[in-house]
Amino acid sequence: MSLNPSSPDRPARRTVTLSWLVVALLVTAGAAIAGTAVYYTVRTATASNGPVPPGHLSVTDDLGRKVVVPYDPARVVVLSPSIMDIMYRLGLRSHVVGVDCYAAVDGGLSDDYSPDQVANWSLSSSMCVQIGPAFAPDTLANLTPELVLASTIVSVADVETISTTLGIPVVMLQPPTLSGILVDVSLVGEIFGVGSVATTLNGELSAELYNATQIDNSLLSLPTVLVTYSVDSNGYWTFGPGTFGESLIEFAGATSIGANSTTPYPELSPAQVLVANPSIIVYGTGFGLNESTYTGGPFWSSFNAVKDGNVSGIDSNWLTEPDPTMILSGIPALLAIFHPSPV
Amino acid sequence: MTTRWLEVRRTGPRGTRRRWLAAVALLVGSVGLVAGSTLLGTVAIPPQLVFQILLHQVSNGGLYPAPCAGVTVSQPLCGAYVVIIWQLYVPEILLALIVGAALGISGGALQGIFRNPLADPFLLGISSGGTIGAAVIYVYRFQEANADLFLPLFAFIGSVGTGLLILGIARGRFSSVETLLLTGVALANLLSAILSLILLYNPAGSDQVTFWLLGGLGLATWQVDGIACGAVLILATALALHGRELNLIQLGHDVAQSAGVDARRVRVRVILLASLTTAVAVAFTGIIGFVGLVSPHIVRRVWGTDYRVVLPGAAAVGAVFLLAARDVNYLLFPGSLLPLGIFTAFAGVPFFLYLLYRQRTASTMGAP
Repeated sequence: MSLNPSSPDRPARRTVTLSWLVVALLVTAGAAIAGTAVYYTVRTATASNGPVPPGHLSVTDDLGRKVVVPYDPARVVVLSPSIMDIMYRLGLRSHVVGVDCYAAVDGGLSDDYSPDQVANWSLSSSMCVQIGPAFAPDTLANLTPELVLASTIVSVADVETISTTLGIPVVMLQPPTLSGILVDVSLVGEIFGVGSVATTLNGELSAELYNATQIDNSLLSLPTVLVTYSVDSNGYWTFGPGTFGESLIEFAGATSIGANSTTPYPELSPAQVLVANPSIIVYGTGFGLNESTYTGGPFWSSFNAVKDGNVSGIDSNWLTEPDPTMILSGIPALLAIFHPSPV
Repeated sequence: MTTRWLEVRRTGPRGTRRRWLAAVALLVGSVGLVAGSTLLGTVAIPPQLVFQILLHQVSNGGLYPAPCAGVTVSQPLCGAYVVIIWQLYVPEILLALIVGAALGISGGALQGIFRNPLADPFLLGISSGGTIGAAVIYVYRFQEANADLFLPLFAFIGSVGTGLLILGIARGRFSSVETLLLTGVALANLLSAILSLILLYNPAGSDQVTFWLLGGLGLATWQVDGIACGAVLILATALALHGRELNLIQLGHDVAQSAGVDARRVRVRVILLASLTTAVAVAFTGIIGFVGLVSPHIVRRVWGTDYRVVLPGAAAVGAVFLLAARDVNYLLFPGSLLPLGIFTAFAGVPFFLYLLYRQRTASTMGAP
């Protein structure tokens, strides 16, 4: 038991034992993490494989999960403003009993929904399902929904809680591209039995996308633009490759100065903006941001676009929320800014 | 007794030569670093052009009347490069030097007054107060359009307020060094919790506050540099004049008292001055960690433990350290705008651990 200082082997042996213990601990921890990851991947990818009971249908959501959902459910919780937009446009507002809220501040709606959305969609604090700072399952269970429509603003663990613990099916709607929005419209239409309304809406969306493509084809050169959605003392946040904002700019016939960035949502320094020299600057408004927020940004008045007066504001939601409004309002608004004279 | 303590640390002509050599190396190194820093930024500009633009601006057009002459670059781009070099990069470099110096000397003074090698402005919560001030701007969108004025102002008020609060709480008969230190640590944790709560319930401005939490040089302009330089020069000089008193305090408060130094008054003065100096730094750059912690240790290791040397030395080393961190940022991640505090921590932590490893058998504080 006692350490014999005259024996040089003992400390060395203890060190070796300690090293093995550390290795064993690391291996155990690694296995536990890997196991948890596999568990969640499998559970969320195969939400339901059983037979479809009467009055239900099996659908595949945007994450590839097969989910058995009730046909035309009367009580639905919507956990994303973009899905709420689809529901409203399909005339399904009366089915929605709950929406995502960030916290119990100002009724919890102001962080996710603009005042216009709250008013137009008749949302109230009694519909709040708190998804942040931490998900509160009781606020969801309390509304007794038959179905939850969610985007990836809800974490995998929270989806597990809803579907497994509360026993409520969850359909994840997270379109990967602009055309994915049309797929989601069809899916929602199928679940609620309003396929014809969905088809009509998709017709409008397709027409808008086609119209933008035709204008793009007629352009000889594309303007270089900065579309920024936030600003701080270091620079301007913009859309990088693979984001909806970037796709939208491309569809509206312009080249974003953030398109070659290595990150999806880069912050560009004033030096980078100066060198890229965008001919047009578009800033996102709403959620506390307005023109004066950006005019206070670093070196704002040094940009040629600002000197030339080629600066416009646009509702941030039109740039960030992958929903029908993004196509029906966002693309025409950007087209009007980028190409003011008829092309 | 003081003389004897200082004499113990004199290491003869060889040590003196080594210290002088180190000082010359630091000076030459910093000049080279400053020159090299003008080549680094979020935009890569040809070195020849940087050189010409600098000469053009410094000579007011006397040298290189056309700053982009001899380099193939369009006129608008040339204009942009002039703005980038002269209005962005140079002020950024100067602000890094000023703030690094401010943090370095504050850290040195606080470590001296608390006789604790871990004391620095961040441990004591002085800078956390500044972050609360910044959060008010970004989270509650208060005067965001005038952020260049109100952001530093609020951050400054937050930092100074915290420093005063520490002194206020730990005053009177509770004013032992330990009480002050623990009050600062407790306050830092409390402020951190308040900030977390604010961010959790107001995610809208969390990106900006996170950037502020990790520091950056984005507010740098010539005007900001002028204000920061003036303030730091006055405050740092005032701090540096406390070197002799800090030397005596290292020997114990009784010894300091017998040598005519009122340790309690010195403590209040030094904490107040360090708070103000830190507040100036935090006001313009946000929280940049490790500069205040590491710089005094480097100075003690190279130039000894005499606080008449440690304080100005920590300012010099802090300035170089922060500028080097800025350059490493741009070298490793060209074109990316990343918070500076990440790089000071990446560089600072291994170096700090190395220093601790090298000196684990001896005190780094110079206390007898």
